[in-house]
Amino acid sequence: MTRTEYPELDEVLYHQTLSNGLTVCVVPRKGFTKRLAYFVTDYGSIHTQYSLDGKNHQAPAGVAHYLEHKMFDLPGSRDVSAEFAALGASTNAFTSYDMTAYYFSCTENFDECLRLLLEFVSTPYFTEESVEKERGIIDQEIGMNEDAPDSVVFENLVQAMYARHPIRVPILGTGETIRQITPEVLYSCHRAFYAPGNMLLCVVGDVEPETVVQIAEEQLGCEALPVGKKQKGWAEPMTCPRPEITAKMEVAMPMFNLAFKCEPLGTGDGAIREEMVADLAAEALFGESSELYLKLYEEGLIDSSFGGGFETIDGCAMLLCSGDSEDARAVREAILAQAEKLTREGLPEEDYLRMKRSALGRRIRGLDSFDATCFRICAYHFSDFDYFRFPEVYRQITAEEIIAFLARVVKRERCCLSIMEPVCEGGE
Amino acid sequence: MMKTTTIAPGVTLRYVRDTRFKQGGFSFQLVRPMVREEAAKNALLPAVLLRGTRKSPDLRAVTQRLDELYGAAVSPLVRRVGDYQTTGLYCSFMDDRFALPGDRVLQPMLEFLRELLLDSLLENGAFAPDFVESEKKNLISTIESDRNDKRLYAMQRLLRTMCAADSFGIPRLGEIEDVAAITPEALTKHYREILRTSPMELFYVGSAAEEQVISAIRPLLDALERTPEPLPPQTAFAPGPGEDLTETMDVAQGKLCMGFTTPFTNRCKELPAMQMLNVIFGGGMTSKLFQNVREKMSLCYSIDSAFYGTKGILLVNAGIDFDREAITRQEILRQLQACRDGEITQGEMTAAREALLSSLRSVQDSPGSMENYYSTAALSGLAFSREGYMEAVEQVTLEDVVKCANAVQLNSTCFLKGGK
Repeated sequence: MTRTEYPELDEVLYHQTLSNGLTVCVVPRKGFTKRLAYFVTDYGSIHTQYSLDGKNHQAPAGVAHYLEHKMFDLPGSRDVSAEFAALGASTNAFTSYDMTAYYFSCTENFDECLRLLLEFVSTPYFTEESVEKERGIIDQEIGMNEDAPDSVVFENLVQAMYARHPIRVPILGTGETIRQITPEVLYSCHRAFYAPGNMLLCVVGDVEPETVVQIAEEQLGCEALPVGKKQKGWAEPMTCPRPEITAKMEVAMPMFNLAFKCEPLGTGDGAIREEMVADLAAEALFGESSELYLKLYEEGLIDSSFGGGFETIDGCAMLLCSGDSEDARAVREAILAQAEKLTREGLPEEDYLRMKRSALGRRIRGLDSFDATCFRICAYHFSDFDYFRFPEVYRQITAEEIIAFLARVVKRERCCLSIMEPVCEGGE
Repeated sequence: MMKTTTIAPGVTLRYVRDTRFKQGGFSFQLVRPMVREEAAKNALLPAVLLRGTRKSPDLRAVTQRLDELYGAAVSPLVRRVGDYQTTGLYCSFMDDRFALPGDRVLQPMLEFLRELLLDSLLENGAFAPDFVESEKKNLISTIESDRNDKRLYAMQRLLRTMCAADSFGIPRLGEIEDVAAITPEALTKHYREILRTSPMELFYVGSAAEEQVISAIRPLLDALERTPEPLPPQTAFAPGPGEDLTETMDVAQGKLCMGFTTPFTNRCKELPAMQMLNVIFGGGMTSKLFQNVREKMSLCYSIDSAFYGTKGILLVNAGIDFDREAITRQEILRQLQACRDGEITQGEMTAAREALLSSLRSVQDSPGSMENYYSTAALSGLAFSREGYMEAVEQVTLEDVVKCANAVQLNSTCFLKGGK
C-alpha cells in the first residue's frame, strides 16, 4: 500500500488499487472507537444511458435508487440489516445524482462487518416478488418528497434551469418510471456499474490498512470485470430555458432557490481548484461575512435560513442559494448588482485572506467527522483528486480568480429562480 | 474521563481533555425551569447575543471575527432537558496546533465569547431594537416552518395534547404570540436576571490543560455578580386524559403519531431495559415496527419509535397512505403486544443491546456528541455514569424488557391526513 503523510493536517492516508480494479483508501484514526466504511460506486441517478458488452441500454429513471434498496436482499431470506445489527453495527446507503454509497459504522467486529458489506453489495439477488414489494415502499418515499417543500422547490428549479441534463429528473424517479423497473433491469445495471473497477472502498477508524486490503481481495476476487460505459449527451447552453418558476404549497413562509448555471467541471487538480474558487466566490458574494448578506439581513429580505454555495455533479454545476424570503426577486436583483460591484471594485486583500483562512480552518475541523471525511474522500476520488491536498490548493488561489469567476457566472442569462409560495396568505 | 468542578457559585465546569480531535468545543448554558412565561425569551436570547457587540457591532463584523479565528463557529444552544430549558452558546474552533506559528485560537475564542455574552451592543441600556425585532421574526419563522415538516408537526400537535398538564407540552422554542410580545427592555431585564441567578453549565473538550481553560474563562466569571438560586428537581410526567386527534392538511402522505406513557425515566434503574425495549420495538431497521409494518406489510415508508427518558414518553411516528390508518395503528399495537408477551428473539435482544452500547461508546468520538451527552446527562438526573450505563445495558434480561413493555400505555394519537 502507498502511505502518504499530511503533516499539516495530522493525517495519514493508505492507498492501493487492487488487481480487480477496486481502489482502497484507509485513514487510520488511533484511539477512536468508531470505525466507518464506505463502499461506493461511481454511478448515480443520472446514469440511465449506458453501453455494456457493445449493447446500448436505456434504464428507467430512478433505477440507481431502486437498486440501492434492493441490494439489501440476499439469497436465503438473509436480512442484511439484522446481520449488521447482530454485530453491533448499523448500516445504510444513499443514492445521489452521480454516486451510490453503502456504509456501516461499528465499534466492534470490524472485520466481519467489512466482509458483510462487500458481500451484500457485490451479490445481486432480485426476484419478481421482492422487486414488486419494494415499489410500495419507494412510492411512499416519493410521496414524502412531494410533501417536502424544500425538495419540490429544488426539483422545480432544475427543471426550469436545464434543457437536457438528467438532473431534471428526481433521484427517486417518478411513480410511472419505477413501474418499469424489473429484476432484469436491476441485474443489468448492477453488472454495468458494480464491478470493482468502478468502485471505491474507503475506511476511517482505528483499523489495520493491510487487513482491509486482504479482506477486500478475499471477498471480491482478483478478476477485473467489465464496466459499463456511461453515455452523456448532456451538453447544455449556459442559459436557462425558463428564468423563473413559481409554485404553491402548504408552507409557512415563501421560500426560494436561486441558481446560476456554471460550466461542468472536469477532473483532477484544475477541477478541484475551480470548485474551491467557486466556493470562495459564493462566500465573497453572499456568505455570512459579505457586505451583501448583512445588507439583505438587515433589510429583512433574508433571514437565518439563507445559505448557499457551489454544487457540482457529473456534467453540471451551479452556484446555488436558498432560503425564506418575502421577496425573492429582490434578492436576485441584489445579488446580480453585488456581483457587478465586486467585478468593478475587486476583492480587498484582507477580505480575501480572511476568507481563505476561514475556509481552510473549517475544512480542518470537518476532518473530525468520520462521515464527512469518508464522503469527501470518495467524491473527490471520482474526480481524480486526493482530498487531503486541499490546503495547497487553497494557498494557490488568487483574488483575481475569484472575481473572474463571479464576472463570468453571475449573469442574468445564467440565472434561474424557483419560488414556493404559501397556498393561502397567512391563513390556515 | 470527564471532570466536574464547581468553579464559582452555581457555576459547573465539565472538562474533558482529549488530544485526538482537530477542534475544541466549549459550551455556555444558563439553566432555567421550562415555563411558558420565559420559554420564548430564553429561545430568542442567543440569537440576539450573536448579532453584535460594542467592538463588533453587526453580523458581518461578528462573522469576520470568527473568520479570523480560522472559521470558528458560535451557535445558539436552546435545549429542553425534562423540566428545564437551557439557553446559551456553543463554540467550536480549530485546535491551536493547526494555527500559524505564534497564533492561538482557544484564548481569543473564549475572550470573544465573553464579549458576546457580556458586552452586547446596547441602545439606551437595552438590546438594540432592530436586532431584537429581526431575531423575533427569525424565531417565529423557525417555529412556523416546523409546519413545513409534516411529521414534526403531527408530533408537536400530539405532544401539546398529551402533555397539556406537563412542561413537556410547552414547545422548546416557546409560543409564537409570546415571541411577538417580547420587547428589547423586557429581554434585557430577563437576561440580566438569569445571568445573576441561574445555575450555569460550562463544558470544554479539547487539548488544553484545565488551568488554561479556567484562566481563559476567568474574565467572564469575574465580570458577573452572582446570587445563584437552585432549581426545583425534575418531576415525573403528569399525563392528561388522552385524546385521538385527526387533522386535515394539504399533504400527499398521511402522518400517524402515537404517544405512549411509561413510568420509567432517566432517574430510574429500569432505564437501560426501557431503552432496549424502544430499540426492539421501533428503533432502527431491525425493529419490530420496521420489519413488520414496513418490510412485511409495506404499509409505510418511514416508521420508528423514540423514547424521551427525561419524561418517560414513547412516541411512534409513521408516514402512511390515508386509507391505511386503522390497519397501521392496529399493527403497531400488535407489535407492542408481542413485546409484552415476550415474543422477542435472542437476535433482537442482541441487536438492541449492541446498538445501545455502540451509541454509548460513540459518545466519545466527536466533540459535539460529548458536549451533548455530558452537558445534558447530569441535568436530566441520569442515574448512571456513561460507563455504569454500559454495564447496566450488558445485564438487561428478556424479563426486564417484558416488564417494561407491560408498563407502556397508549395515551393519545394524532393523524394528519390529506384533502382540504
